[in-house]
Amino acid sequence: MHEVNWGLLIVVYLFLGGLSAGLFFAAGLANYLEVDGKPAYPRIARMGALLAPWPVAIGSGLLILDLGNWYRFYKLFTHFRWESPMSIGSYLLTIFTVIAFVYAFSWLPEDWRQKLFSKVPPTWKLVHRLNVDISAHRKTIAMVGFPFSIGVGIYTGVLLGAVSARPFWNTNLVAQMFLFSALSSGAAALLLAMVLDKRNPIEAHETKFLITLDIVFIVLELFIILPYLIHGTLSVLAVKQALWLILGGPYTLVFWVFFMGLGLLVPLGIEVYELAPSLLKGKPFHGDRNLALAASGLVIFGGFLLRYIFVYAGQASSFHKMGMLH
Amino acid sequence: MAMKKRRYALVIDSRKCINCKACVVACKAENDVPVGNFRNWINEDRQGEYPKLRIDFEPEQCHHCESPSCARVCPTGATWQRKDGIVLVNYDECIGCRYCMIACPYDARYFHEESGTVHKCTLCNHRVDRGDVPACVETCPSKVRIFGDLEDPASRIHELLATRRYHVKEPQTGNGPQLYYLL
Repeated sequence: MHEVNWGLLIVVYLFLGGLSAGLFFAAGLANYLEVDGKPAYPRIARMGALLAPWPVAIGSGLLILDLGNWYRFYKLFTHFRWESPMSIGSYLLTIFTVIAFVYAFSWLPEDWRQKLFSKVPPTWKLVHRLNVDISAHRKTIAMVGFPFSIGVGIYTGVLLGAVSARPFWNTNLVAQMFLFSALSSGAAALLLAMVLDKRNPIEAHETKFLITLDIVFIVLELFIILPYLIHGTLSVLAVKQALWLILGGPYTLVFWVFFMGLGLLVPLGIEVYELAPSLLKGKPFHGDRNLALAASGLVIFGGFLLRYIFVYAGQASSFHKMGMLH
Repeated sequence: MAMKKRRYALVIDSRKCINCKACVVACKAENDVPVGNFRNWINEDRQGEYPKLRIDFEPEQCHHCESPSCARVCPTGATWQRKDGIVLVNYDECIGCRYCMIACPYDARYFHEESGTVHKCTLCNHRVDRGDVPACVETCPSKVRIFGDLEDPASRIHELLATRRYHVKEPQTGNGPQLYYLL
């Protein structure tokens, strides 16, 4: 088997980057929705905004640690190479992280903000000048951030998809697959966080919104994965051999049972089961806490597994050395 | 006088290869390649079963491609290509992300643990620049390897490629590999 150059740190980073993109997108979307002139989901918007920057910040840290020379990471920003997805991605990721932090800041409650700045020494006047209320600009910041969150979601897929030497990755579907998986993970993480927050119990209409959002993203993800599999098996030998890794090869079980089954179809089933009565028969939406916990947990688990399978199986695929000569 | 255009390449007459691995050893000694890493290697292609069997040996290394995918994906430009076609790594610019190792269809690169950078065959550019041939070429006892300038009509490799049938490995990657294997 081919040696693994990108290991678990990269898997975790790709997952966390996507998770932040998804959190930001769902939170920004919630911020825009209104009912009768009033914000429809202010608590979702706030929770998502406050959570969004952290996964990508941690992920970027891991990414830097994974470098052979971590202290040279600044060289990513002293060059710009438009042909290198990693070069473009480094800038995208940085800009997105900054916007996500600014957006989180705009959602900080007044007392939290004062508490935060009370810890800064009073002589640091420049820092204290940042102690301003920017909550009026939330919508603008969200709008600026949308393309960057989508960009980060796509980038994590393009990073792999652009590598022509690895037939498992080298299709134009991987970018969308990672994007929808990221958006779905973000919606699920938001649901999980809202359900776990016992001080502010989640309300039925909030659960309904997040579950609806997640169903849309999972279905879109399925619409990408199925053509990926079908087209791959109908493709040239190198791609067929690469697809064998998940169609009979070493990653078959983890792909079909743990990712497709537990990470995608089971949570989709739970969410449809929850939503269908209110959608089809007009019954009130109840939103079972345990089902929401299970579905969101499984979606996040599936999102992680997708990265795991793609990073590892992709590196094992190549134009030669696939057990067949030449 | 204007500099003459050059394009260095290797022709490999693999039917002459006896798998003695002198090229591998010469490369390791010349370039101080760490234990466990290789800049060149010999593929073994076995066919058939005893008593009807055959084995082919085929030396391989960096193909110094026409449009190298390793150089394309490098985020800092550490991997670059000289005008004469030799693909090199600028170790001072390499951050060790290993994207190039993943992007190389020939798996010709390795991670140099000590420096935290990626290394590969340099076509012995230090020797070539002073007029010598690469160490693997010089040492080969059965003259499998022929080094030369494709732009020079008087060169041995120019003549071989004009008169002999040959193939390159995995041309479908679109990299334009420049190791020519004689048939």
